[in-house]
Amino acid sequence: MRSLFMLLCLIPVFVHAEAESSVAATEWGLPQLMQSLAQVQSSQGRFVERKHLAVLDVPLASSGTLSFRAPGHLEKRTLEPRDESLVLDQGVLTIENRTRNIKRTLVVQQYPAVWAFVESIRSTLAGDLPMLERFYKVELKGNAAKWRLKLLPLEQRTRGMVKEIVISGRSDRVTVIEMLEANGDRATMTVTGETP
Amino acid sequence: MNQRRYLAVIVWLVFVAASVLVISRSQFTADMSAFMPRDPTPTQKIMVEQLRDSVVSRLILIGVEGAPAPVLAQVSKNMTAKLRTAPELAAVNNGEQAGMEKDFDLLWRNRYLLSDAVTPQRFSAAELRDSLNNYLDLLSTPMSGMAQRVLPTDPSGELIHMLDQLQGQAHPRVQDDVWFSGDGSRAMLLAHTKGSGNDIDAQERAMLAIRGAFDDARKQIPEASSAQVRMTGPGVFSVQSRASIRDDAWKLSLIATLLVASMLMMLYRSPRVLALGLFPVATGALAGIAAVSVGFGSVHGITLGFGVTLIGEGVDYAIYLFTQIEQNGTPQSTLKRIWPTLRLGVLLSICGFSAMLFSGFTGLAQLGLFSIAGLIGAVSTTRWVLPHLLPQGFSVHASTRLSSALMALVRRAPRARNVLLAAAAVAVVFIALKRDSLWNDSLSSMSPIAKESLALDEQLRRDMGAPDVRYMLVLNAGDGESALQQSEELVPVMRDLVARGMLEGFDAPPLPSRKAQLARQAALPGEVELRRNMSEALRGMPFRSATFAPFANEIATAKQQTLLDRAALQGTALGLKLDSFLVPRDGGWTVMMPLRGVKDAQGIAQGIRHVSETSFVLLDMKRESEQMFRDYRHEASKNALLGALAIVALLFISLRSVRRVLEVSLPLAAAVVAVTAWLVISGHTLSIFHLIGLLLVVAVGSNYALFFDHRCTSAQDRERTVASLLFANASTVLGFGLLSFSQSPVLSAIGSTVAVGAVLSLIFSAILIVRNDE
Repeated sequence: MRSLFMLLCLIPVFVHAEAESSVAATEWGLPQLMQSLAQVQSSQGRFVERKHLAVLDVPLASSGTLSFRAPGHLEKRTLEPRDESLVLDQGVLTIENRTRNIKRTLVVQQYPAVWAFVESIRSTLAGDLPMLERFYKVELKGNAAKWRLKLLPLEQRTRGMVKEIVISGRSDRVTVIEMLEANGDRATMTVTGETP
Repeated sequence: MNQRRYLAVIVWLVFVAASVLVISRSQFTADMSAFMPRDPTPTQKIMVEQLRDSVVSRLILIGVEGAPAPVLAQVSKNMTAKLRTAPELAAVNNGEQAGMEKDFDLLWRNRYLLSDAVTPQRFSAAELRDSLNNYLDLLSTPMSGMAQRVLPTDPSGELIHMLDQLQGQAHPRVQDDVWFSGDGSRAMLLAHTKGSGNDIDAQERAMLAIRGAFDDARKQIPEASSAQVRMTGPGVFSVQSRASIRDDAWKLSLIATLLVASMLMMLYRSPRVLALGLFPVATGALAGIAAVSVGFGSVHGITLGFGVTLIGEGVDYAIYLFTQIEQNGTPQSTLKRIWPTLRLGVLLSICGFSAMLFSGFTGLAQLGLFSIAGLIGAVSTTRWVLPHLLPQGFSVHASTRLSSALMALVRRAPRARNVLLAAAAVAVVFIALKRDSLWNDSLSSMSPIAKESLALDEQLRRDMGAPDVRYMLVLNAGDGESALQQSEELVPVMRDLVARGMLEGFDAPPLPSRKAQLARQAALPGEVELRRNMSEALRGMPFRSATFAPFANEIATAKQQTLLDRAALQGTALGLKLDSFLVPRDGGWTVMMPLRGVKDAQGIAQGIRHVSETSFVLLDMKRESEQMFRDYRHEASKNALLGALAIVALLFISLRSVRRVLEVSLPLAAAVVAVTAWLVISGHTLSIFHLIGLLLVVAVGSNYALFFDHRCTSAQDRERTVASLLFANASTVLGFGLLSFSQSPVLSAIGSTVAVGAVLSLIFSAILIVRNDE
């Protein structure tokens, strides 16, 4: 049962932000980035995602909307090719597939790997550095205007599935989330800031 | 004379020794069988078995609270580690997933045997295509990792199907690796005791082990000093109620004994006589237990408890004898005077109790025999043994002022006659009006369990998603295989009932029958067919065809795989679940399927009846137990009435006067009516325990009435008689009155009924019986 969810959640979720915080140019680093991300109370956006999987001849493409409300509400709604929603709220993840009428709920803390994955995105959006560093070795490149966070899982079991997660952004917005899995599969999600 | 004296004492000692010997070899039982009719219905039998020793009855729910969640989680882990090796427990689980890999492995390796979706159609091109489409959906979801891993060897989706089924079942939330209550304030553990649910000692040992493990864990973790552990479950209730009855009974009887003893000590002024006063009732109790043991083969705990109450009359015998010895008189001369009255009183009680002997309920029949043997033992000791052991020249000097005040009251008492008769008539009408809501037969009305404990139980059960203990489907079958087969037939019916909203869910044995497993193996296609169907299904889909290369081989292996049995499930959570659903019993097997959230019990009963050839029974523990108690109480009431008729008949034979019979029985009837009315007015609903209390009121009260009716030779004689009644009454009221303060509904019901009833019998006898002294 648990393995089901241990392997779950390989799709990145994002968000974009429209806050007016500005970053001090003088000494910029991880704490400053996190602080500016933490300023953002809520954000919406659209996403386009492509997954390259070993079992498929062609990549899987999907698109939909994303929204985030600090500190713990994250919603990914896939509209194409089929209606599906993924909602994280206060540590509870709900996955709903309306076409097949399936609804699954789980407390992310129950599944360390899922938790790690969910936190890679939620912690980044919420600017929650301590939580991020609980699961990942965090490497930051770039500057306040254009940055790139590389997350390397600390936990053995998560490492068996996820090799690395790269989150790129511009100032206090996340623009691209890329995930490289241990088996060579990869997924790229591009986020645009327009409100749907 | 001396020889006779020794002879009586020797015979008595031999009798006591023999009784002790019999009792030491007696078997004592404490289960529900006392309440079970001699010819129980199958459902009643199942229910008693369930109450006695079901898996549910072995369950202890544990909650640890009062500290931050991570600390509680650590306490939970330490406790579990320790309890896993505890000899008192068969299993303990706190949600830690240490064993889950095993379960996952079991499911995966045996997916074609375990999945109930495996049919020949499952592997047709159309259904395979449907399943592959489902996989495609999964690949674009967060479950893509898992989907990819199982896709090549499980394209028909058996694992996903089984996991979805398991997901649908209730389970508590997990935090910091262990089970927690919904609000996260309480870490939850679940233990199965090794001893059966009705083995209260075993349950108590299990509770002590759990508490010990908690205390150790708390000592190891400094932050956990504020943590508390709470337990609930049927066994825990038994232990708690036994403890509360024992504590109450012990404490209250000690106080009562002290009070009665100090009263009698003031009266007798001799510790020796005080001790002698206990001989009749003690002998009676021994005789009662020994008689039941010989007559029934075993003695019921309930017989013991109520029996000793019923022969409480025996305490009075000594008081009648001791306080009525006149100055310069001898015990023998006193006995000569009071013996006919005493004898009649005992005979009346025996008459009253003998109706119970013929009861269809073992418990009542035992109670009847116990009382009869006990009273004979008590009165014989009073008659033939006590006189020889009393100190020479013993007599009681009651205060003359008390006696004369008492006599003045007694003389004036008959004036209240009309008022009393009118009041009794009103009470009769009142009871007749209330007769439908008079009795309460629910288990909880008799249970000594505090309301808070019940609330805690409900809370923990909800947090755990544990089934409530009220409804379950039960089936007895000759062997495990047919039990499993019949369960399988029932599952689709139950699913339908769930879909129709009659219940929230149910649990079924997690092991398919051999028949079902063989059918599934036979449904797996041959290699050629499989390859053909697979390539047809894959046409136009984005999957790489090489992905499914291992599938055909996997199916070929599964076709010859060893079938699963109980042993194969051992050591997994599924195995534990199976053991709790499928239990060997009396050479056969019993399947129990607990139901959750039952909304329409009648609909379910009807629904399962439509399944042909299944003998599953829907067991409603609450309704069945209430029905059984109601039958029991009806029978007891009927016997009590018969007993009353026998008493009246005996009175006619011995008193030979309609007027005297009326006079003697009227105060008793009035007392019974008045006590009943008082109980109802003060908000009680009556239970079997009140009935037992009323029986004792009649037994004790009949002596009062007879002594009032008894022809006295002198005013002093009358005075002594009345004083002895007052002292006997005072000791009864002290003893039983204190019991009425007990927390336990059983003790308090008997206590208040008897105390009030005894006082009223005495007063009513004084009012209604015309004394015709010489």
